[in-house]
Amino acid sequence: MMGDQPDITARARRFPPWLKKRIPSQGEAAEVSRLLAELKLATVCSRAHCPNLPECYARGTATFLILGDSCTRSCRFCAIEKAAPGPLRDDEPEAVAEASARLGLRHVVITSVTRDDLPDGGAAHFARTIRAVRARLPQAIIEVLTPDFRGAEAAIDAVLAARPDLFNHNVETVPRLYATVRPEADYRRSLGVLAYAKRRATAGGMTVYTKSGLMVGLGETADEVRTCLADLRAAGCDILTMGQYLAPSSAHLPVVRFVEPAEFAAWEAEARALGFAAVAAGPFVRSSYQAETVFSTRKA
Amino acid sequence: MSEVEVRLPELGDEAGDEARVAFWYIDVGEEVEEGDDLVQMLTDKATFDVPSPVAGRLTVQLAAEDKAVKVGGLLCKIEVKD
Repeated sequence: MMGDQPDITARARRFPPWLKKRIPSQGEAAEVSRLLAELKLATVCSRAHCPNLPECYARGTATFLILGDSCTRSCRFCAIEKAAPGPLRDDEPEAVAEASARLGLRHVVITSVTRDDLPDGGAAHFARTIRAVRARLPQAIIEVLTPDFRGAEAAIDAVLAARPDLFNHNVETVPRLYATVRPEADYRRSLGVLAYAKRRATAGGMTVYTKSGLMVGLGETADEVRTCLADLRAAGCDILTMGQYLAPSSAHLPVVRFVEPAEFAAWEAEARALGFAAVAAGPFVRSSYQAETVFSTRKA
Repeated sequence: MSEVEVRLPELGDEAGDEARVAFWYIDVGEEVEEGDDLVQMLTDKATFDVPSPVAGRLTVQLAAEDKAVKVGGLLCKIEVKD
């Protein structure tokens, strides 16, 4: 039985109505949390304060965060701790493989903090993790969401040599906003990472889908988004995700605008028309949100 | 009769973080079905509806509207007929 209709506008007006999530009343969330704690694994779901966490954990999925849980960059949209990172955990690749196997994942997403302090940016550790998961789950689709490795082609080569099925690197925002949103990154360099990965995989006879993501609501204009989508296609990017930027705290960049679901639907149609093989756009879409479903919708 | 404790699940914020009670859908003494929304919570990123894990009667609310609750903290209790 429901009580009287609450005065939503007065009490919960911080978010528009479409930014409401329902927590599943049943599911595997507690088991996922226990497993991650047991194997001492971090997830970007938790470290980035992702609002999809209850839904994804309840479905028995999570996106692994490797290379430690503190980042050498200070992007102003991201909740992950900015601090001098510690040494790499040698057993982390095996732990990710173990968790993936115990969760029975068919689509494993592995991401990381940025490790500008490491000579290879952590590429070898990415490769070891891909291989460890592949050894345990030969049938699983493996998606990596990598940092830009400062554009180092050798690092991208090392990751690709481990044969991920998807190579994801997010441009995150339009070039004009890089200085405020991700000051230590470079838009052209990120596009270059995607273009190089695609070119290299194709030349090597590998089927690797490239993927990238864009946050909206940071003050970008429609024309800037349009140019960014065209830039991604020109870089050979196959799969696009677009979601609402949400500020992790009052210390992070504020949301400039809440983008309505209909506008996301229009972007999705426009992106498909540009030739992306798969597109996910919506308020709660994140880079790895429903990655398995998004990948399954791809056009040949 | 037995009592089921409803605790705040992880909402994306890290353990130790808090969410704020926006409002209660269900008042003390009201009956709920499994899956009915009990309370609406706010984090920095979104609004969340917390459903009842069981059918029963809400006996006590442990957090008033606009109060913060830590992940794992007690939200309310539901009395269940055995």
